Amino acid sequence: MPTLEVPSRYRVPTRGESRIDVKGTTIRECIVEVESRFPGFQELILDTGGKQKRFVRLFLNGDALERDALDRSLSQEDTITIMASAAGG
Amino acid sequence: MSVGSEDKMIRVDMTRQSASIEAFPEKWKFLGGRALSAKILLEECDPDCDPLGADNFLILAPGLLAGSSAPTSGRLSVGGKSPLTGGIKEANVGGDPGQDLMKLGYRVVIVTGKPEDPELRYALEVDGDSARVIPADAHKGKWNYALIEDLTQTYSKKASFISIGPAGEMQLSGASVACTDHSQERHPARHAGRGGLGAVMGSKGLKFVAIEAGRAASRKPADKQFFQLSKKYTRDFVAGPGQEPFPKWGTSVGCEEANSLYTFPYKNRTEGRSPDVATLDGMRIVESFETRGGGMHNCLTGCIVKCSNIVHDANGEYKTSGLEFETLTMLGSNCAIASWEDVADLDRLCDDIGIDTIETGAAVAVYMDAGGMEFGDAEGTKRLLREVAEGTEIGRAIGNGAATVGRLKNHHRVASVKGQAIPAWDPRPLKAAGVTYCTSAMGADHTAGLIVDPGQAPEEFARASQESQILNAAVDSSGFCQFLMPNIEEIAEFYTHFYGESINREAVADMGWQCLEDEWEFNRRVGFGPEDDKMPACMAEDEIGGEVKFVWDVPDEIVAAAYSRFDPRDELFTARPS
Repeated sequence: MPTLEVPSRYRVPTRGESRIDVKGTTIRECIVEVESRFPGFQELILDTGGKQKRFVRLFLNGDALERDALDRSLSQEDTITIMASAAGG
Repeated sequence: MSVGSEDKMIRVDMTRQSASIEAFPEKWKFLGGRALSAKILLEECDPDCDPLGADNFLILAPGLLAGSSAPTSGRLSVGGKSPLTGGIKEANVGGDPGQDLMKLGYRVVIVTGKPEDPELRYALEVDGDSARVIPADAHKGKWNYALIEDLTQTYSKKASFISIGPAGEMQLSGASVACTDHSQERHPARHAGRGGLGAVMGSKGLKFVAIEAGRAASRKPADKQFFQLSKKYTRDFVAGPGQEPFPKWGTSVGCEEANSLYTFPYKNRTEGRSPDVATLDGMRIVESFETRGGGMHNCLTGCIVKCSNIVHDANGEYKTSGLEFETLTMLGSNCAIASWEDVADLDRLCDDIGIDTIETGAAVAVYMDAGGMEFGDAEGTKRLLREVAEGTEIGRAIGNGAATVGRLKNHHRVASVKGQAIPAWDPRPLKAAGVTYCTSAMGADHTAGLIVDPGQAPEEFARASQESQILNAAVDSSGFCQFLMPNIEEIAEFYTHFYGESINREAVADMGWQCLEDEWEFNRRVGFGPEDDKMPACMAEDEIGGEVKFVWDVPDEIVAAAYSRFDPRDELFTARPS
């Protein structure tokens, strides 16, 4: 089962969970599955049109993904890491 | 001859309207920017002085690497005792004056005294060989943009300027100090905004500083590896995938992210999200570039971040620049003003009058919340800001900040710490940042140590705040911009090659810590104590959030723990400013 690593910035809806095993064959399916268990998670990662938000970056097994990789197929051993870029003021 | 051995400083006595150039003391060799300002204030300034009196200091201190070829390293610290908080204050600003002062070899300008006649105005002229105070009554009362337009006719095409608008001349506690940017027009759009240091400058009758750097070369490092290091850092920064989208489009595009984290205050912070986020977000500004012109630029010479936007109006004419996330939030969302275009107008007014956009946004929101005006009244807010320059009763209250408006209107919901308004980044979801707001000698100031991490565990708050405060003090002392996001290890490497002396990461962290200690000690001498490290009641009472609710509920002992130094861990040296 793929694993989703959640940065602490986005752990409020996951109630502190940092690594979540998810059923899903694509990154998008994994995010939707996490949303079903932890409401409020998806809106942090995807915009209302279903696109990856601009401050979110995704990594697959440590490698940075392009921004249009949400529908990429996953294997059972894959680890998806979510990162948030800088904030500023 | 070692690097820095010929460095100079300028002392300005505004009582006698005289300026003298002195050798820069060896004991301050490794102090720059914020750390230098803190040390001078602690050693020389009477902590009991009236912030607007002759005994207060106005410090203009470029960072240690300013004037060098290190990327984005020319920032200036403006320091003094704050009329807003009553404590020590440093406000860090871009633009070219910091670069130019250091290229001329001036490590600091220290302004003391005040003229006998408060109606008179003066200017300080600085070049490579001399510094002099001259009469400047002809410029009395001018707004910043008109002032700089006139000065660019008088001084050379390369001159840079530090100035105040009418708010500084009126000595209002929210007054800012403006620095001209890198543009050909030298717009006065970069502001040392927080803490009312424009009022300190105004109290000394100092309307502007003109710096003629001419063809002064960059400061030469002790060792040539410094150039290779600068090139490598630049290459890595530009290529770094994690940097997008921030440098590309600036801080203004952070609105949606902040909104999703409930740190996009709405209606005087009674809610954490705004229904108007889509019309405020900086991507609308980015979209305007195509039809109106404008775009992204570097606010200071040698900046590789280029996060400053240039905003044009519907006719394609320049309106403002450096329209940041904080301004869009505090003058937009927090006042329920829905359009970024209205906020751009307000930003221009604030820059022109010379007032801090954060403090002003908070003050207007308090006024609205107290019934003085409808939330969302953009045109009324523009009129209100013009009243600041006119000096009406409510205009002066707005210019003096949120706490003053709260007192005037007898309104309870004033989100400030030590008298300074809490910035957009909200301490209820961002509790470690809240610890910074409580413990920083500056009052509520996100640039003192921001941590955007609502998922953090309570046992991490104090350490995270302390580490961020050390890092930011180190960065603000180096001349680097926080948005370049250097870590302590990298700063140490730059110092080592610039000064030709081995300076390790522990030494840079110690410099940051010592800066904090000096600031805290100044405030202790003023009379600040634990009772001043309190978040206002409204932050504990007004709940925000969705399924998970946020209030300020951090115990005092966790806040106090940020004052005791933790054993350094690796993250202290490798973390980057948020």
